[in-house]
Amino acid sequence: MSEMHDTLVDFVKVLRTADIKVSPAETLDAMQTLDIVGFNDRQFLKNSLSLVLSKNPEEKEAFDDCFDRYFTFDKFKPSESDDAPANDDNFDDDGEFETDSKQQGQPGGKGSGMGGREGGGEEEAEDMEGLSPTSELGKLLLEGSRTDVMVKMAEAGREVEVSQIVVFTQKGLYTRKIMDAMGLKGLQEEIGELQEVGGRPQNHLAGRLKKARDQLREAVRDYVERQFMLHADESGKQLREELLRKVKLSNLEKRNFKDVQEIVIKMAKKLIAIHSKRRKTFKRGQLDVRKTLRHNMQYDGALFNLKWKSQKVDRPKVMCICDVSGSVSNYSRFLLMFLYSLAEILPKVRSFAFSSDLGEVTRLFDQNNLEDAMAKTMRDYGNGSTDYGQMLEDFRSHCMKDVDSKTTIIILGDARNNYGDPKAEILREMYDKAQRVIWLNPEPKSSWTVGDAEMKKYAPCCHQAEVCNSLAHLERVVANLLRVAR
Amino acid sequence: MATSIPIMGVLSNEGLTVAIKNEDKLKDVDAIQGHFESLDYICSLEIATAVFLAYHLEKPVLIEGPPGVGKTELAKTTAELLELPCVRLQCYEGLDESKAIYEWKYGKQLLYTQVLKETLGEILDGAKGLSESVAKLHDFGDIFFSEEFLEPRPLLKALKEEESCVLLIDEVDKSDHEFESLLLEMLSDYQLSIPEIGTVKAHPDKKPLVFLTSNNTREISDALKRRCLHLYIPFPEADLEKQIVQARVPDIPPRLNDQLVAFIQELREMDLKKVPAISETIDWARTLILLHTESLDPDLVRQTLNVILKFQEDVETVQAELQGLTSRAVKAST
Repeated sequence: MSEMHDTLVDFVKVLRTADIKVSPAETLDAMQTLDIVGFNDRQFLKNSLSLVLSKNPEEKEAFDDCFDRYFTFDKFKPSESDDAPANDDNFDDDGEFETDSKQQGQPGGKGSGMGGREGGGEEEAEDMEGLSPTSELGKLLLEGSRTDVMVKMAEAGREVEVSQIVVFTQKGLYTRKIMDAMGLKGLQEEIGELQEVGGRPQNHLAGRLKKARDQLREAVRDYVERQFMLHADESGKQLREELLRKVKLSNLEKRNFKDVQEIVIKMAKKLIAIHSKRRKTFKRGQLDVRKTLRHNMQYDGALFNLKWKSQKVDRPKVMCICDVSGSVSNYSRFLLMFLYSLAEILPKVRSFAFSSDLGEVTRLFDQNNLEDAMAKTMRDYGNGSTDYGQMLEDFRSHCMKDVDSKTTIIILGDARNNYGDPKAEILREMYDKAQRVIWLNPEPKSSWTVGDAEMKKYAPCCHQAEVCNSLAHLERVVANLLRVAR
Repeated sequence: MATSIPIMGVLSNEGLTVAIKNEDKLKDVDAIQGHFESLDYICSLEIATAVFLAYHLEKPVLIEGPPGVGKTELAKTTAELLELPCVRLQCYEGLDESKAIYEWKYGKQLLYTQVLKETLGEILDGAKGLSESVAKLHDFGDIFFSEEFLEPRPLLKALKEEESCVLLIDEVDKSDHEFESLLLEMLSDYQLSIPEIGTVKAHPDKKPLVFLTSNNTREISDALKRRCLHLYIPFPEADLEKQIVQARVPDIPPRLNDQLVAFIQELREMDLKKVPAISETIDWARTLILLHTESLDPDLVRQTLNVILKFQEDVETVQAELQGLTSRAVKAST
């Protein structure tokens, strides 16, 4: 049983790389489950482990996938069976046989080889006249059940730590290592000895062993391949995600967008999990008379359990203004994506887009899926030269009345105003009214005052002005935003 | 203070036989499925596995899924199957320990102090000086905070239940985060701590079978999840749903059942605010039976649409496509 527990631990490792959070306690639970459920019914085992190890619908889906990939042993061809797919190997064997038998000067070799291909197992056994393999691996291959072989293979795999496989070039290496660990050397020696002795039964046995060996090699190769898919593929993905987080958003290529979107959703989920809790703050010192009276009725009206006024902290009201003109459209795309994904904890996000004239895209975002919403925003507002002055003017006339002390305004843009009037006084007005004004600038700080950039005028009118050009930055900014709001 | 109080007495003979019978009922997944079916609860293999493991691992089950797929029903049916009482705790915002675990019987405590006051003279009889009186008072057994004055609420009740029980903590996602933490001790060790008395533990052989349900309105904390088995009940497949309707509404003609389920299944594919769940399917089936329906037709569906759809917007969306939907459903059944 302890071997099976090892297998389970390996499986848990695989689950973890597939983004399923499994704690050690849950692993222990799974072992207990294993003891109760046993291995006889695959579906039953799968259902049971799924109950214990995966704890939300997404994880369940990933779990099913992992389980199916991890526990595929059905592909292994039993070494004794002479079914159709094994025929190719047989021909190879025959070829070898001929050369072998020539060396031995024993013309019978080929015949027995042919017999091995056509005849069933029983005939062969008669042919061998009571000879049986002596090496451990040989015995296992010819006499053990295929489950035994699989178990042995998995054990050997664990021994050589096949789960450490990282790149595909290592596949051959690990196949060799596993074969060695299973006792290939003994088998080879036995085959050699048998051929040395010569004789029809010996040669025949040698042939069968060789065939079994080649099939085993095939199976081990498959096994390594699967391990590679399980372990390396996922960790490769993690590596890629890590990179994508740090890379400058403007350098992302189109083909990465899908990955990035996945990451953005993941990040948003993480933030949701942390911040979805609405907190109460207790205003100590202010008595809630009504509540106190009501609560103390059970004490005969004696007021000895006082209740204080508490207040729920509102989630932040966010207004997000994105520059979607050519120069920064790549960045705003991701900010909008991020906010779109955060809708669950920030129900009051209002999004605006502008090049010169400001337009609200909140409704567009509500009604369309992410892709369409992005495309439409870009189409409607994307072209035209940047005019921050006009944008602020528009904001003042349309939205200033909605800005209150709970509002956070996020502006994303490079503040390059084409030498127009920056109208920083409007931003100042927003600064006074809103809880926070955050300016995210994708350009490095050194170029904030170069050329037509107006950051010098805008920055003093913001609570916070930050460089933001990667997903990691974006995550930090939004996390801060949520934290401040509590 | 931290002494643990054995709640259960000696195992009664009767209790033992019940336990053995239940062991038998839950001996494997097929048996569970069969027993549930006889109680008109048709369950998938996953659900049966969950009940099986919950019983044998002695772990709570957290059931998630859209509303109306039979989460609460599962707990109730299990209680019925095992012939155990079902203790239910409905969660809501602001639920606290005084409503979930225990409460002191303040009135009686007050009365007790009154009585104590009157008999104080007798107790302190013969004591000289303050220190001697206090010493005498200490010797006198203190029952002010004792079980006599304890009003058990659902969680404590479940632990104290003589013959074990099924504890249903309904819609745990509606409660506050603080309450979730309160549950942890109960869920992992089947015990509760009452500061004034000590720890109350369930009898090791009579641990309650705990079900928690959640509609996923918010994410349940990892601490709670890790202590539970996690069962996700999705909307059922067409075949399973037909069986469920058949079991719950035995009068339904098979042809109507086919049409009904096909129609509902298609609705679930549509982009609706709230898609109909099994409970709505069953309600609808009952409605149609009352109206002596043999087969679906567009007019009838239009009139009864409010049974399965709970938002005007949805009703309007579906009405626009009613003709097509109905004819497809009718076709599917033949």
